[in-house]
Amino acid sequence: MNAKEIKALVTDWRVAALIILIVLSVIAIYPHIDQNGHVATNLQYGLDLQQGAWIQLELHAEVVGFTTDRPVSDFISNLSQSLDTNVEQVDANHLEIRKSFTQQELETKFSDAGGTLTNYQQGVSKTTADDVKSILENKINTLGTKDAKVNTLTGLNNVARYVRVELAGVDMNEAQQIVGKQGKFEIRVQTTGNATEHVIFGDDITSVQTPTQVPAGSNIWGVQFTMSQAGATAFQDAAIKYGATDDPDKHYLIMLLDNKTVYSAPLSTALATSLKTQPVTQLVATTGSGTSGSQQATNLEIHLHAGALPVDVSVAGSGGTSAPLGERYKEMALLAGIIALITVGFVIYYRYREPSIVLPMILINASEVLILLGFIALIKFQMDLPTIAGLIAVMGTGIDQLVIITDEILHEGRVPSPNLYLKRLARALGIIVIAAATVVIAMLPLALMDLSTLKGFAIITILGVLVGVIITRPAYGKIIMETLSK
Amino acid sequence: MGLINYNIEKYSPQQLVVIPLVLLVISLVLLALNMATTGMPVTPGLDFSGGTAVTIRTTDSHEQLQTVFADYPLSDISDMNDAKFLKFGTMDDAKYRSLSTLVSQKYPDASISQISETFGKSLQYQAIIAMIFSFIGMAIVIFLSFRTFVPSIAVVLSAFADMVMTAAVMNIIGITLTLGTTAALLMLIGYSVDSDILLTNRVLKRQGKLNDKLTGAFHTGIIMTSTTFAAATALFIVSWFGSIQILIEISAVLLIGLVADIINTWLTNVGILKWYVLKGGGK
Repeated sequence: MNAKEIKALVTDWRVAALIILIVLSVIAIYPHIDQNGHVATNLQYGLDLQQGAWIQLELHAEVVGFTTDRPVSDFISNLSQSLDTNVEQVDANHLEIRKSFTQQELETKFSDAGGTLTNYQQGVSKTTADDVKSILENKINTLGTKDAKVNTLTGLNNVARYVRVELAGVDMNEAQQIVGKQGKFEIRVQTTGNATEHVIFGDDITSVQTPTQVPAGSNIWGVQFTMSQAGATAFQDAAIKYGATDDPDKHYLIMLLDNKTVYSAPLSTALATSLKTQPVTQLVATTGSGTSGSQQATNLEIHLHAGALPVDVSVAGSGGTSAPLGERYKEMALLAGIIALITVGFVIYYRYREPSIVLPMILINASEVLILLGFIALIKFQMDLPTIAGLIAVMGTGIDQLVIITDEILHEGRVPSPNLYLKRLARALGIIVIAAATVVIAMLPLALMDLSTLKGFAIITILGVLVGVIITRPAYGKIIMETLSK
Repeated sequence: MGLINYNIEKYSPQQLVVIPLVLLVISLVLLALNMATTGMPVTPGLDFSGGTAVTIRTTDSHEQLQTVFADYPLSDISDMNDAKFLKFGTMDDAKYRSLSTLVSQKYPDASISQISETFGKSLQYQAIIAMIFSFIGMAIVIFLSFRTFVPSIAVVLSAFADMVMTAAVMNIIGITLTLGTTAALLMLIGYSVDSDILLTNRVLKRQGKLNDKLTGAFHTGIIMTSTTFAAATALFIVSWFGSIQILIEISAVLLIGLVADIINTWLTNVGILKWYVLKGGGK
């Protein structure tokens, strides 16, 4: 092939697209030597390929459908009492019950309260799931653990039953401590200048409501919380003793989580007056108006919980890999990929005995894996062992389809006329598209469902098939035509 | 060219189908037996039944390990090259924590995982749903692509037989159904129809003598399966040396499935297709 022909080949859009993608992938993967002199890349690894631990928590709550002839708020408060737990309304006909109950138990309680249970699902609503996620993230962040991921596993019905916490670089025990640890919440009162005095700790706060507008419709947001009798008395004593009731503006009340200020405001005049005569158990901390006020109220709610989750949880699964084992798995996985490519190369060579066919095939196959890796690096997808199996599977199907193209084109004698060539290529691509469609369809349920590690595997397999059909097969068709017409 | 001489001219469709049919029936019986004893056609592994698994690299003997873990409900120890794979029954949170402390102190080269029974059950349920949907989805694509009943059902039947035979062999050699092997079985749905689609396409859409077309399709198809087989073998050998259990299982299931695929494509599917064409279907 002379320079002119190479130029013509490279500028063909199919081949050009492939080359551009390869270059972009290498940039995305970014192989380089890090400070320690090791070869490093932008690829991220899952917890079976590096040191780390994961914990999966089951959320003990239910999301249920209901109907009732009574006013909904009456029905809910009635249920909340008889079930002795928080009952939140999710939407017009769904409730979230924040405690573990069986369907039978709930059916009875519902009919007692004057309603009917229309469906039953274990888990929490999307909103609560998001709360759980931010509470856990907050907790992990305050402990200074980096590289943590919290994911709620939400099913197709928008109900989340599990939350998965992944912590890189820590072992199983540390991970359990971090997730299980409660933050230290404290309310202090300003005495003189910057000096403060202790008022109560978080264990005196008995319940925290979700953020509301106070008063309703004012667009000023706040979080209502309730203190125990002892807490309320302590709060009153401190407010009187340090002068907060006489001069609220000079004696702010400060809320701290793990010794960091999360909220600070004076007593309202009304509250200051009533505290002079009696303890108050229910307080509202207002955070401001509009979106920022609402956002701050949400954060404050989480802080008031001091890292406690709104529902009970239990450990549904956990696991961890030590650093040396993860390192070894990584090396082995790389080795498996390389050896698989070489073995496949031998089989292909045995069949065609023609370097001008075998070489493009292997290069196309390798470039497919490279493009996939580039994509994985770009979306910061964490590669784990099933993903690597998926990559090797993509290599297998990839080479299969190149064989189909080659055999269709080579069918009955060697050099087909351009016309015949195109017809045969179209026929080969027809077979490939059907085969690709079946793989995509077969993997789709896994990609949509939350079957922990299999999701990644399915997404990578689907992506691999798509990269193959859209990018690399057409390029191969072009390259093989050029080589065969020699 | 080719290791095997594929000469099906002298066999009738009935003769072609009889071997895989017998295998399929035997496999179904085996799965039914397993279903009767364990409640699942394929024995569920740790991911689905719940429990704790520990992988360690050690030269300690089974007896030594039993002494180390005497306080814990150790149910099984198996060897994988230079690693040991330990299974434990269910235990409470405190016990599990003390186990993971013990493991990390005694064997720094370890990985540990634990799945609760309820979580396992919910995974198992989802895995079954995923498999059913995958299979139905694949069948729909096949029917839409070929739009003729007999050739489509032949492909779907071959894929079904692949899965059933693979599952039966898994039971025989003791590979359990885990997340990894579920993935492998789903991969097989994709792989197994590859060569079937090629075969059907060649036979129905090309001109020429039936036997020439079958031989040509075999020529291409067997290389396709060989390359995949080669990749899976490489994965199997490397993961064996690296003692990576999940990859050993995935590659083993793929290898079994590919053998089943050869049988079902070149006997079952060819048999039905030949019968269909001889009867006057197709061209």
